[in-house]
Amino acid sequence: MYCSVRLRQLAVSVVLVSVASLMGCAPASTPTATSDATPEPSLPTAYDGNPDLSGIWQAIGTAHWNLEDHTASAGPPELGAIGTMPPGKGVVVGGDIPYQEWAREQQQENLARRHAEDPATKCYLPGVPRATYQPYPFQILQGTGKIMIVYGIAEANRTIHMDKDNPEPAPIDSWMGRSHGRWDGDTLVVEASGFNGQAWLDRAGNFASDTLRIEERYTLMGPNAMQYEATLEDPNVYTGAWSIKLPLYRRLEPDMEILEYKCVEYSEELIYGHLRKRTAQ
Amino acid sequence: MIDRIFPAALIAVAGFMVWTPTLAVAADEAQAHHMHLATPNSSESVKWYVEYLACKTVAGRPKLVNCGEMDIEFVARTTLGGSQGTGVNHISFSFADVKAKMDELEAVGVRGSGVRLQRFADGSTLQNLPGLGKHGFIFDPWGTRIELVEDPDVLGFHHIHLQSVAPEDALTWYVDVLGAERGKFKGELDGLVFGSVWLLIEQYGDGKPAATDERSIDHLGFVMAELETASQRIADQGVDLQQAVVPEGARSQAKRAFLAGPDGVLIALVEPGWGGTEDALIAVEEKVATAPYTVVRTPWDEPDLQGIWTGNPSHGIPLERPVNAGETESLTPQQAAARRERGTLGSIWGYEREWRDTTLGYDKSAPSRQVAMVIDPPSGRIPPMTEKGRELAAAAREARGYARGELVSGPEDLPNFVRCITRGLPGLMMPGIYNNGLQIVQSPGYVAIQKEMIHETRVIPTTAKPHLGPKLKQWLGSSRGHWEGDTLVVQVKGFNGRAAYRGSSENMILTERYRRIDENTLEYQFTVDDPTVWTRPWTGMFRYAKDDSQYELVEYACHEGNYGMTNILSAARSKDKTES
Repeated sequence: MYCSVRLRQLAVSVVLVSVASLMGCAPASTPTATSDATPEPSLPTAYDGNPDLSGIWQAIGTAHWNLEDHTASAGPPELGAIGTMPPGKGVVVGGDIPYQEWAREQQQENLARRHAEDPATKCYLPGVPRATYQPYPFQILQGTGKIMIVYGIAEANRTIHMDKDNPEPAPIDSWMGRSHGRWDGDTLVVEASGFNGQAWLDRAGNFASDTLRIEERYTLMGPNAMQYEATLEDPNVYTGAWSIKLPLYRRLEPDMEILEYKCVEYSEELIYGHLRKRTAQ
Repeated sequence: MIDRIFPAALIAVAGFMVWTPTLAVAADEAQAHHMHLATPNSSESVKWYVEYLACKTVAGRPKLVNCGEMDIEFVARTTLGGSQGTGVNHISFSFADVKAKMDELEAVGVRGSGVRLQRFADGSTLQNLPGLGKHGFIFDPWGTRIELVEDPDVLGFHHIHLQSVAPEDALTWYVDVLGAERGKFKGELDGLVFGSVWLLIEQYGDGKPAATDERSIDHLGFVMAELETASQRIADQGVDLQQAVVPEGARSQAKRAFLAGPDGVLIALVEPGWGGTEDALIAVEEKVATAPYTVVRTPWDEPDLQGIWTGNPSHGIPLERPVNAGETESLTPQQAAARRERGTLGSIWGYEREWRDTTLGYDKSAPSRQVAMVIDPPSGRIPPMTEKGRELAAAAREARGYARGELVSGPEDLPNFVRCITRGLPGLMMPGIYNNGLQIVQSPGYVAIQKEMIHETRVIPTTAKPHLGPKLKQWLGSSRGHWEGDTLVVQVKGFNGRAAYRGSSENMILTERYRRIDENTLEYQFTVDDPTVWTRPWTGMFRYAKDDSQYELVEYACHEGNYGMTNILSAARSKDKTES
């Protein structure tokens, strides 16, 4: 059995703590005294008293198209209107990504070549933080000592080590990096590094290098929504640290599950088409 | 019929059986006393015989069980194989309701107690035998063949079954040398009786039986009151006999002598008061004796399978029993080590030993001694394919041009693994030579199983959820789990049929069983039920070893780095040009 209700309000905690004790649950955290007696919505609490982030989540919006403000723009002509980039407000806190000059030029080149060059078109691993706001669901499993996130595309996954020292530097570079987490009050804070620098941040060619370091913050806003913030630092690409902030929503369908989305075969023509046997005319 | 009174007889199998005589004993006649059964782990064997064969533990003798008229002592030592093929084919236990017992073992067997059932040609587990009534055969987890019978007159340990190239000569030998009494069991079966313990004998079919020595039933033991006198007489009869001595490590001052019985059966004679020898002097690889393992539970009270496991110990176990494996039930540690060496260092990969052992973590676990993965059918072989199964397999071969010797025309011409799509199920669970990691993370109601090799993650619900609908067929099907005691049972179906395992079809129903058999061992059983392809279901088993301390899964970005695919295709196109 695990505790399903997080106790946050002193006003109700006296009663609930005694109930929780009967259920074998310790109070989640020291309740905060407030003069406002209106109870906040109760948040799910994990077996260990920390917020319970388990479940299937998904971002809504256009961050996967472009993290920055963007108007609608054309896609491949053969796809007509359904291939276009829809308009959206950016999720970058305070405006644009603070690129170094060369890097902004690089991003513009990436944007122009995105249909062929975006690693996501090749079904490559999405990297971090991009995996979070791809338009696909992902599942968080809050185990003991590890938190696993399983993303609904390209068999992408991350293990967030809650039980290990963070080695510096990461032992090996990878697409999804290496993640170490800790709880900061009610926020899951994840330090991610050890990236190979090949992933993009969105379909607009925003990018980082292999010196990228990310601090992610996951904070429940209610039982069915979570604030996601990520601060990116990369001295070789940006002029300073910058952040994105967007909510994640719980998928509430009763039988929701992450389905298999093995996209490799859909990318093979793009990657290997030029090496295909030509049939004699 | 039995007018003689015997002291005690010893039977050596793969452990020790000790029968404590209750009858008076003639001085120069042997009486069945005990058996030694060899086992890698005495406490496991004690537990097994108590749990499944209704034997009882004996105070102060942690490695011994009492089974009716016979005591069995489990001696920790390596064996060269099971009992079949030796002069002691099997031992027998009697139950009041043998059908109920067999049904119980059948249910238990698939859950991983290690028991194997031997089926008769018609697929049944029990048949009627004149003189014995209903009987059937099982193997204990260490290779001893055990007959189950229903004889209300003698419950518990029932008899020892010998095989001989010349049964009549053998019977005469036991009468002349050990003073046995001949008889016909139930008036039907030729045999010998020691007290209430019968030795039955049958013709050995093919060639000569192997020596029992170092097999799972190592020797038979008998008590002889006047051992010194008897030894002299036996030696005078021309029998090869080892002098009676108090062996090193003996718990009493009673002496023991070994002699060579007919058909390679090793026989020990002991003086009354024999208390066995201390295991430590015989033990080869006994693990530290531990209490039965209690599976750790998660804070939310489910069995805890979490951690990083590797398939390294199981690398190299063939799926099917090799044709040259003979009767071998289990490799010796030396044979297992040699198999690992062949499969790793001597392979095309040309691994360096140090790199294999440290970077890949092979030095963390002993190589498995399993002969084959398939545990059911007991033959260790996948059952015959149906006609449809053969057609499908042939069609799958035909579908790939390169299989007909043509150059690869495109990526879809190559296997799924080469394309970095999937290894399928149960393929992806199979141990490989490298990137053998398996990480399990649980949260309430879910078990996530991540396989390092080509990074695939299965999130398996353990609460009741319907399988996916018929239009949602997937490469890996849909997995639905539940807990049966400490075992995670996962049913997988709804395959798209494009990632066949050994020819499996989209109709396969795969049942997986994950069970932690000790702190550091995860046993994985998989039952393939695909009536389209195979004439009956079959089951395989292998084990993962826990390695949280050193091993960590790396990101096996297979597709992202699939230079092999580019090279294969460009080489084929280059060849196209030179050939045109």
